[in-house]
Amino acid sequence: MRKEKVKLTGAEIVVEELKNEGVEVAFGIPGGVLLDLYNVLYGDDTILHILMRHEQCAAHAADGYARVSGNPGVCIATSGPGATNLVTGLANANMDSAPVVALTGQVLTAAIGTNAFQEASTFTITMPVTKHNFMVKRTEDLPKVIHNAFYIANTGRKGVVLVDLPKDVLATRVEVDLHQRETFAGYKPRTKPNKAQIKKAAEALANAERPVILAGGGVISTDAAEELRHLAEFLGAPVVTTLIGKGAIPEDHPFSLGMAGMHGRIYANRVIYECDALLALGTRFSDRLTGWQLDQFAPDAKLIHVDIDAAEINKNIQVDIPIVGDAKLTIADIIKSLEKKKRADMNAGKGKNLSVWVQRIKEMHSACDECIKDVGRTGSSISDRFIKEISAILDDNAIVTTEVGQCQMFAAHYYITKKPRTFISSGGLGTMGFGFPAAIGAKVAAPDRKVLDIAGDGSFLMTCQDLATCVENDIPVVVCIFNNCYLGMVRQWQELFFDKKYSHTCLGRTTDFVKLVEAFGGYGERVEKPEELKDALHNAFASGKPAVIDMIVGWDDKILPMIPPGGGLTGMIGTERCKNI
Amino acid sequence: MQKHIISLLVEDHPGVLTRMSGMFTMRGINITSLTVSPCEQDGLSRMTVVIDGPDSVLEKVRKQISNLIEVVRVIDLAENRAIIRDLCLIKVHVRDAEDRSTVMQLSETWGAKIVDATLDAVIIELTDEPRRIDRFVDLIKQFGVKQLFRTGVTAIGI
Repeated sequence: MRKEKVKLTGAEIVVEELKNEGVEVAFGIPGGVLLDLYNVLYGDDTILHILMRHEQCAAHAADGYARVSGNPGVCIATSGPGATNLVTGLANANMDSAPVVALTGQVLTAAIGTNAFQEASTFTITMPVTKHNFMVKRTEDLPKVIHNAFYIANTGRKGVVLVDLPKDVLATRVEVDLHQRETFAGYKPRTKPNKAQIKKAAEALANAERPVILAGGGVISTDAAEELRHLAEFLGAPVVTTLIGKGAIPEDHPFSLGMAGMHGRIYANRVIYECDALLALGTRFSDRLTGWQLDQFAPDAKLIHVDIDAAEINKNIQVDIPIVGDAKLTIADIIKSLEKKKRADMNAGKGKNLSVWVQRIKEMHSACDECIKDVGRTGSSISDRFIKEISAILDDNAIVTTEVGQCQMFAAHYYITKKPRTFISSGGLGTMGFGFPAAIGAKVAAPDRKVLDIAGDGSFLMTCQDLATCVENDIPVVVCIFNNCYLGMVRQWQELFFDKKYSHTCLGRTTDFVKLVEAFGGYGERVEKPEELKDALHNAFASGKPAVIDMIVGWDDKILPMIPPGGGLTGMIGTERCKNI
Repeated sequence: MQKHIISLLVEDHPGVLTRMSGMFTMRGINITSLTVSPCEQDGLSRMTVVIDGPDSVLEKVRKQISNLIEVVRVIDLAENRAIIRDLCLIKVHVRDAEDRSTVMQLSETWGAKIVDATLDAVIIELTDEPRRIDRFVDLIKQFGVKQLFRTGVTAIGI
């Protein structure tokens, strides 16, 4: 390792270390205590700094950037309100295990704890919403802290690391060794799966007559889509996904049955109920996936759970074969083990015929496919058709982000995702206002690809001020608002489970979203029918500007089928239109 | 509900205690006692945490605490596989010479030390297993306990 001492200010060290970590983009807003840091960023052409209009958006943009590029996203906020505004975005990224490094300014070390101007205890506030956080007290510590922040954020189960930087730590000039490193004795992320467990898993899968694979976010974050497809085809097993796992397998693949869970597809849930072996990859069995009647979750199956985080094993679901490891390495090992077993079985004249199961999977796939692909057919509501149009218009490389609520579930249900890292949504935290700033991050990560946010009128207004960021920085993302003038998902629950008492969910129709985007300097258009969307989207993309398409949908549109609260995987309601096979 | 003694080896950094206790808070688990001190390795500290809770929940918390970056090791100490000690300081009211002599005799029998005495009170120190301290405190209560301090449990595996 090189050892060289140089004399630098804390701010210069931070920027040098960011470059060492390969950081190309940062989303942030400066402030009083960050003047030293921003002074160094002035005129720097290695790191592209995008000036956001709200810190929450900076965190979401870093999150979106990370999920699309696979590299840690960086966001910067000043002390006090800057840092507290970040919190929602950090919690969101951490819940969905997205690698994000946040840098926050802090008041002078001597002033900490005195209620100084713009002081907040960022260190303690962000502790429960980050994987780890640092409060730097000495400028000399900066090289190793910044390095560790990236190392921790981007290894093991990925997550958020925050570094709190007091003003004087940034301003002080010291002689440092930029290559000093320090490891944590207690942090040794395990990626390689245990061989004995792999053997057990392969055995259980090979002996199964109705194997099913459940793919979560771990498959996407380890870039294991290829391996997953290979395994599914080798096993003759259908693949269902979680919301964050959407894109782990091309959803037009005959073995893909789409998303499972509360708003999943009926057959995705049914195969989890029917299977005799379930291979769950990189998922934490959230309640939105399993439902609440756990006796309906894979009741007859040998349950194999692969996760990089040992704390997830047996947390929400009791499993038979736990494997702690990286999804990609584990799938590869399982395939190897299965191939070996298959050769041995063939030599012994054994071998199982899964053709009945495979046939059934194909039938299930096409039963849902008809409904999902037929643009002219209205399912439970007009909103379905808007998503189908979007799905038909966008190319395979386009990136879709979503807000949270009905629009998100319509997208999860009907948007056909073909590639990993092209469907970006707020899963764990369910943050309204996530999709638009995440789209900004996505577009910065992939400027040559189309980026579209599927939004609701409620969620878009939570972060729409960053239209200014898009216009100023020439980030042409397109927002499609499902305008039903309601907080739709809450309204849907009020209709179905609270006697149609629409308590405080009506947003009204007074906001003119076309004028709004035009006021920011973007392009806007309103469409009232799904068939008009094609032209509108064409115009939006052709404008080269940030754009909003205000799509008028039914106020009482519902996303169905669904598992009602308290229900289980077999108790979906609103299945009348589903083909029964 | 079962009592658990969790022994942690952690980095000696500010905030480690908050991180650790935050995990218990998140799960709604009450900490019965907690001791923190330096240990045989520079830069590391040992914590002994006593908690009450169902085994299933504790196992989950134990794993989540292991996940903390600054936690080096977590051990759930079984009571029969550990030496467990608690230190107790009690200020006991003594009305007269008879009380005084009974308290002193009892203390001697229990292996406790009289560490200070005034005209109307004595201060007793007892280091022992928590259960024995419980019994001693119960016994001495009848004389009138003015103040009672316990350090909380520290434990070492055998």
